Amino acid sequence: MSADASDLSLVHRVQRGDKGAFDALVLKYQHKLVKLVMRYVRNPAEAEDIAQEAFIKAYRALPQFRGDSAFYTWLYRIAINTAKNAVVSRDRSPIEYELDRSNEESYDMQSRMKDAETPEGLVLTDEIRSTVNAAIDALPEDLRTAIVLRELEGLSYEEIAAAMACPVGTVRSRIFRAREAIDRRLRQVFEGGLGRAEEIG
Amino acid sequence: MSRPTFRNEHFAALALAWTATGVAPAEEQAPTHWLERMNQALTTRNYDGTFSHWHGGHVEMLRIIHRVQDGTVSERLASLDGSGREFVRTGASLSCYLPDKRTVVVEQRPPEKSLVGFPAVTDQTASFYDIREIGRTRLNRRDTHIITVSPKDEYRYGYRLWIDDSTAMPLKTQLCDTHGHVIEQIVFASLTLPSRIPDSAFRTEVSTEGFQWLRNETPPPPAQAGGAMAWSAMRLPPGFKMTGRSAQTLPGSTDPVDHLVFTDGLASVSVFVEPQRAAKAGESPVAETAEVGSSSAFSTVVDGHKITAVGEVPPDTVRFIATQVKAHGK
Amino acid sequence: MNEELDSQLSAMFDDELAPEQCELLARRLSRDEQLKSRWGRYAVIGAAIRSERGVSLNPPLAGRVSAVILTEPALSGSAAAQGVRRAALRWWQPIAGAAMAAGVAAVSVLWLRAQGPLPGATLSAQRTAHTDAIAPGQGLSYVVPRAPAARAVLVPSTTLANYVVAHSMVSSPVARRNLLSAFMTSESANAASESITAAEEPHDVQANIP
Repeated sequence: MSADASDLSLVHRVQRGDKGAFDALVLKYQHKLVKLVMRYVRNPAEAEDIAQEAFIKAYRALPQFRGDSAFYTWLYRIAINTAKNAVVSRDRSPIEYELDRSNEESYDMQSRMKDAETPEGLVLTDEIRSTVNAAIDALPEDLRTAIVLRELEGLSYEEIAAAMACPVGTVRSRIFRAREAIDRRLRQVFEGGLGRAEEIG
Repeated sequence: MSRPTFRNEHFAALALAWTATGVAPAEEQAPTHWLERMNQALTTRNYDGTFSHWHGGHVEMLRIIHRVQDGTVSERLASLDGSGREFVRTGASLSCYLPDKRTVVVEQRPPEKSLVGFPAVTDQTASFYDIREIGRTRLNRRDTHIITVSPKDEYRYGYRLWIDDSTAMPLKTQLCDTHGHVIEQIVFASLTLPSRIPDSAFRTEVSTEGFQWLRNETPPPPAQAGGAMAWSAMRLPPGFKMTGRSAQTLPGSTDPVDHLVFTDGLASVSVFVEPQRAAKAGESPVAETAEVGSSSAFSTVVDGHKITAVGEVPPDTVRFIATQVKAHGK
Repeated sequence: MNEELDSQLSAMFDDELAPEQCELLARRLSRDEQLKSRWGRYAVIGAAIRSERGVSLNPPLAGRVSAVILTEPALSGSAAAQGVRRAALRWWQPIAGAAMAAGVAAVSVLWLRAQGPLPGATLSAQRTAHTDAIAPGQGLSYVVPRAPAARAVLVPSTTLANYVVAHSMVSSPVARRNLLSAFMTSESANAASESITAAEEPHDVQANIP
């Protein structure tokens, strides 16, 4: 496999005018990008806004993407620049006031310690997390090991094959079946009552 | 009343479950997060809306237009019936049009001063207020979160906020006393968030012919403010800290004024210290106590200086703070 | 469910699929909403396993980006590329309202009915024991604000305007809005010309928002 073939196949489609292909890239990298941006802004909602902006910038700049680097590396750089710009442009401490430094510091710690999600995100996030955890706990050990090595340790199929002493094809199958089992439960969270699109207004 | 959506019921059930088992850390920060988002929305978004303001049995409609463009804030707040008063802020200039007094009060602030800093909710704040989300509701077909901020003592007021899920704008706001009784209420009747607002939207409609214009002089260097003395509060109500001071001149006067700011993270009180001067002819001195809506003001004279405290807190709190402000000779 | 297809999807998600198969699958992925949803859930599973603190596992991001991009010109400019999938706005699980994407150059209008009766108008309503409790999800009862206890308010002046404006620059956004609004109303203007004396006995009335 050539590295990055997955992303590149989607990128090429987008470059040829297929907007739907970009959705797939966003879906794949949105969590990573938000987490990255949160290094620069503490506020998760603001981080989401900045990540959103980064994705849109990436979309517009895609014609210039030549594949010199991996797509995610390129996207990552755009996100960092966007985050930095956002921080610089919105930083407006009133300089004539002597700010109470200790208040500032404690606020900083508080945000880092706490999981400041929106109530709605909190509801769904908690439910998602517990659903996934429960599903993983219920997996046969070989499936569980495979998916955890892949998602948590980021090992390639070859590396996992070596770790689990089995063929690469088996790794691929185990990861797929693990995802299927988890997704069966997750689908209910997303599609059962909670996921129905809602008419606003 | 239409049946609540599944999502609202589900969330409500979860919210009640959390409450029943004691508040898990995960729930406590969510409401604070909404307050942050709301403050962000109010200070960084463009919006144009009309709202009703209720206080003391009196309701009036106002229009607010707010724009942030190239780092500059413009806003205009106009009374739609009754007084015809308007407040306009463009860049460095703050103007109050008071047709009832045939006066315009203009304050010029240096560019840095035109940027607003407001108190940040801290760990400390949470120990003086109980901040929680008590539910969600549709407020005229908009999904809103109901956030309550309940003061734990009599020194401060509380809020009930209906925060729009999508924009984090506070569609309805109630200011409450420590018993939970509503003292002041603001409800949006219409609201748009345009991406562009023309400069013309910020021009006042008040005809100022024959009006008296009160402007301020350039502020003196900080060393001169309040004389050679530094002013500070001897004691403060629990949770309040001084977070800043600046020197400025107020419109209509050449006296330098020391502006001290105290806050508990949510409520703030400004204390103005100026040399006591004789009242000009035709102008009533600021009363010993005054109310502007739910905000309170109190002034007293100490050592030849007039000390005025103003804040969105109960009258006793401004009185407390004003009477605690003393000078330290240098 | 096509197991081979889904198995390929899983491999492609991990960048472990042969390039020629990626090309084919990418085409399907872009058009098939079910496939796209599954792909999105694969990403959620990964994020959940990594338990990224502070990050919503289901941010409204993807839908908003999609909405914005739909309004952008297609990158290649070809006529075929204008294929706006009408259903595209639905493939993600909308949590917040889809109507407002930050950054979209659109005017969003919220028209609300005027809220609640004027306090005076509620005199005829039955007086019930009021409670501040609001039961979530069951409609909203709110306490109609009551007039504060009577007090003599002395005369404000243009000096007060100075203090109000100066203080408004340091108070919290909600508080400053209250303050400035109050100062703009005729209540303040009228108070400048007369003293307010004892008002009626305050009462609380409960009203329901339909």
